[in-house]
Amino acid sequence: MSRNLRIVLIHPPHESEARAHALHAGLAEAGYDLVASLPADFHLPEHIARLQPDMIIVDAESDARDVLEHIVIATRDERRPIVMFTEDDKADSMEAAMAAGVSAYVVAGLQPERVKPVLDVALVRFKREQKLLDELEGTRLKLAERKLLDRAKGILMARQGLTEDQAFQKLRSMAMNKNLKLADLAQRILDAEDLLG
Amino acid sequence: MQIEKDIVRIGFNPLTDCASLVMASVLGLDRKHGIRIVLSKETSWAGVRDKLLTGELDAAHALYGLVYATHLGVGSARRDMAILMNLNRNGQAITLSRRLVEEGVRDGTGVAALSHERELRWAQTFPTGTHAMWLYYWLAAYGVHPLREARVITVPPAQMATNLAAGHMDGFCAGEPWNHRAVMDGVGVTIATSQQIWPDHPEKVLATTADFVRRHPNTARALVAAVLEASRWIDASAANRMAMAEIISAVPYVNTGKDVIWQRILGHYDDGMGHTWEDAHSMRFHQEGAANFPYLSDGMWFMTQQKRWGLLKASPDYLGVALKVHQIALYKEAAEITETPIPASALRSSVLMDGTTWDGRDPERYAGSFDIRM
Repeated sequence: MSRNLRIVLIHPPHESEARAHALHAGLAEAGYDLVASLPADFHLPEHIARLQPDMIIVDAESDARDVLEHIVIATRDERRPIVMFTEDDKADSMEAAMAAGVSAYVVAGLQPERVKPVLDVALVRFKREQKLLDELEGTRLKLAERKLLDRAKGILMARQGLTEDQAFQKLRSMAMNKNLKLADLAQRILDAEDLLG
Repeated sequence: MQIEKDIVRIGFNPLTDCASLVMASVLGLDRKHGIRIVLSKETSWAGVRDKLLTGELDAAHALYGLVYATHLGVGSARRDMAILMNLNRNGQAITLSRRLVEEGVRDGTGVAALSHERELRWAQTFPTGTHAMWLYYWLAAYGVHPLREARVITVPPAQMATNLAAGHMDGFCAGEPWNHRAVMDGVGVTIATSQQIWPDHPEKVLATTADFVRRHPNTARALVAAVLEASRWIDASAANRMAMAEIISAVPYVNTGKDVIWQRILGHYDDGMGHTWEDAHSMRFHQEGAANFPYLSDGMWFMTQQKRWGLLKASPDYLGVALKVHQIALYKEAAEITETPIPASALRSSVLMDGTTWDGRDPERYAGSFDIRM
């Protein structure tokens, strides 16, 4: 487990920070760094943008959840795990949340000694899922790009009587000259074909 | 028919348009159909979604866009979702800070002129939700690119008025009673109602997971029947609406003064700039079932806007997704039980504020037809 992860805790606007202090000590001992305890107010998005935490901890019942949702969607290409805690000490809620693939991990209570193992599990799980998602997305993109490229090659072969290899060479040099990605160039050729018939 | 689950836990957020769910329970319409609704007041839409996914909630008062985003995997893990019925039409608004009114801004044109000079800060309630879509649509209709010429953030509805007063933002789009509340508190004015953007637009839905419907079809049908009857009761008379306002303003529900709720649900609008009117398209809960039928075109519209603003990166199979999410067959059965008229078509045609027609027939073309988009 990597050390010195930057963690941000979000607490209700008017709540005392006593809990955060206790947690801070516990986390530091475990090698985690609670960089800030932020109130769930209007400035939350700015603070998070500035602090760039590796992990965010929030009460499952906080109305700041929707603000976080905004951050999750705005930064969805560089996701970070959001850990939730609840006072509701149901043994199965964390498992249910995980099984449902919820973007969060529910911790019963927020005692430092209990929170550390959960954070570890959450992070490992997050990283694994993220890796799978990235791979899936990469494969999907490659497949889509390959299809585009094949169709563009087909057009060049039909229109200009080129071999497949020649068509590909031509696409590649056009893309370089125009400073375009191969897939973007292929898309343009397909668009032009659509337009001109 | 055997009810598979007689206790139905329903989540709601404290807004005027949760009323039919509250009234179904308060009036005992749930028991009439063999179920018991247990209401659960929620603090966020993200929380509602998570609890639907974990099964902690059986169904919920939800934003259209939230259901589709979850179904398509935007912002959370992908999960097959279900819309049982529409809960209401109309009754949301865009509020502008009084400070800007003092600077001379009084309408959309004024907002646009100022937006070209400096970046205004707007808040909505959920990134993929209806309020974000109404705000974006309205700004774009006045020639303002909501994602390039404005700064849009998410703020919980109950915090809107405070942040407006503190000068943290220039305006917001949210459901009632929060817009009327801003007018009453003197911190903001209603610069546009959502029904001005789209008269009789769809708003909240009764949402659940596809899995819940598959496992509990009889419970789901009974729930729709009970909520249809509650919806009809609310729309039946002004006296019923007043009684509803009294009930939902209580602490366990919306938790606000009754005065904040009743005017706008009766159609009495005051924009806070000296203009008052009777609104022909104020919040509607039933309209002989028209407000409740889960039109495929209503659902597809939200997907076209999510595509327009880049929330959906690729075009979804609009009709295919809507057909899967909207539980039209189940709704029709519940409508028959409650003798609610069923429209002839699952598509309807509307003209929005910018004069464009949306009829659900070519969503892909429609999504790409806007000059201002991502």
